Amino acid sequence: MPKVTYIESNGDEHVLNIEPGLSVMEGAINNNVRGVIAECRGACSCATCHVYVDPEWVSRTGEKSDTEASMLECVCDPQPNSRLGCQIKLTEQLDGLVVRMPEKQV
Amino acid sequence: MTTPNAVYWDPYRPEFWANPHPVFQRLRHEAPLYRNEEYDFYALSRFSDVERGLTDKESLSSSRGDILEYIKADLPKTPGLFIWEDPPDHTAHRGVLSKVFTPRRMNELEGKIRAYCARCLDPLVGAGGFDFVKDLGAEMPMRVIGMLLGIPEEDQVAIREMVDASLRTEAGKPLQASQARNSGVEFAEYIDWRAKNPSTDLMTDLLQVEFKDPTGTQRKLTREEILVFVNLLAGAGNETTTRLIGWTGKVLADHPEQRAEIAQNPALIPNAIEELLRFEPPGPSVARYVAKDFEIHGQTVPAGSAMLLLVAAANRDESRYPDGDRFDIHRKGPPHITFGRGIHACLGAALARIEGRVALDEVLKRFPTWSVDIDNAKIGSTSTVRGWETLPVFTGNGSRSSVRREAAPTATQESAATQPASATGSWELTLSTPAGPQVMTAHIVMNGESFSGTMSSAELTAQEITGKVSGKTLSWTLPLTKPMPIKLAFEASVTGDTISGEVKFGMFGKGPLTGKRI
Repeated sequence: MPKVTYIESNGDEHVLNIEPGLSVMEGAINNNVRGVIAECRGACSCATCHVYVDPEWVSRTGEKSDTEASMLECVCDPQPNSRLGCQIKLTEQLDGLVVRMPEKQV
Repeated sequence: MTTPNAVYWDPYRPEFWANPHPVFQRLRHEAPLYRNEEYDFYALSRFSDVERGLTDKESLSSSRGDILEYIKADLPKTPGLFIWEDPPDHTAHRGVLSKVFTPRRMNELEGKIRAYCARCLDPLVGAGGFDFVKDLGAEMPMRVIGMLLGIPEEDQVAIREMVDASLRTEAGKPLQASQARNSGVEFAEYIDWRAKNPSTDLMTDLLQVEFKDPTGTQRKLTREEILVFVNLLAGAGNETTTRLIGWTGKVLADHPEQRAEIAQNPALIPNAIEELLRFEPPGPSVARYVAKDFEIHGQTVPAGSAMLLLVAAANRDESRYPDGDRFDIHRKGPPHITFGRGIHACLGAALARIEGRVALDEVLKRFPTWSVDIDNAKIGSTSTVRGWETLPVFTGNGSRSSVRREAAPTATQESAATQPASATGSWELTLSTPAGPQVMTAHIVMNGESFSGTMSSAELTAQEITGKVSGKTLSWTLPLTKPMPIKLAFEASVTGDTISGEVKFGMFGKGPLTGKRI
């Protein structure tokens, strides 16, 4: 089961085993990790599941769709390693993934 | 099967509007799938059930509306009204707006929102009291959505009143299907005017944007679709946020220790707003049409039924929110479901959050404490939103005799002045010109039946003006050379710190003039 480390903006860490097939967003929401709102629950339309992927992992999380890239322009404080958590599907290859939550989603 | 003590609830009874939470708790415990025979609907109240209901869009369809009475009336469809559409229509139409109401863009409005709040609140400092709804909640959200849409300011009040009327139910009675007015006909003249006078607002964007329609055709929106969008945004952007601001006034007055903490530490505001949204959601329920048999709690809700998803009940579910009936701005638990879930999750959520936060911040800066004039407060009964229609409060920084207010005047109403208001002073004027709103500054010095002064703007260096006074009306002219040689003719009257009237643009027609003392 892929292990994902979620780091809140205040430094609190959550190390969780997430079912493969779930998204980074779902892993956060299902485990009450603070810092992700995800109102649209994966429809790629609310821009509130924004995460910063650890630089070591960015290239391994896959390509962004045009829709995701477009919505990433709408998050508060986008960075080059920004992704929408709902668009990263967890697989065994992502075992050890580290993501950081932004200071605010909205 | 009705037992003598069986729980009963419907959305229309005034006693449930005042405080539905005890009966919601009973629903969650005793009738998680609730059946109301009289009004022919089912209801879900537990958090996990409401969440499931909102995300199962195949079984619970939005295509017949999300208001109970409209689902039952099976009204003709309104293309473009995406809140009442399923995919693919919903996806195509909502997609047009997906990049507009986003966290980043709404955060950029913060400065303007503060300015609107200041306009509402500054005149009330020292007055001894104000009305959270009539003076702020009903004004600021209207100004913001009107500004986004490009609706001229003086028309925003009429539009808000039209929308309010279309959603208001009489206490104890369902909404009448005849109240459904979604075609946006009232906005038609703005759309047509804006089409001839494009600007940098959302209405102009809607006129110019291209999208892929549900058939896959790349095209612009039709005039009818734009009218529908504008109507939806104007309606959704007003009432709900107004209610949030009203609840902010009531709930924080009921919890003065927490209000004091926020006043001392504004960093607590975002969490306070989230807890306010959870505690008293402006939209306490949404309805869905049961398109397919829906199995839950060992029963089948048959296709063709109407289902109410009780968001306000879900937000108090003790299995998710320990001690859920307690208001606690320091709550660390999981998020609320006030803005919904899934594809229909509230498009305006980021805007609502910013408006709520800024309104609370600006109120506390001026009024760190207040107490509710509960005898004169009134809770509203509409088919979709729940909250205060008027919430007068005492702020204690004025004489006791000035504090009692029966119906608080709005910022746009004329107040009965004990002395005639003088036009002498500096004014910020907004002219509604054919090319869009133009801001000008005027300095006026009254001199009996005449006056003198100057006018200027970003493009115009100060020009001298002289004019006459007749009764309360000032009249004067201002010859311009840019953008063309034209003489502006003004007629305006002053009431307190506001000025309003009309300006003629040579032979190019006329428009309203509004302004405030600076």
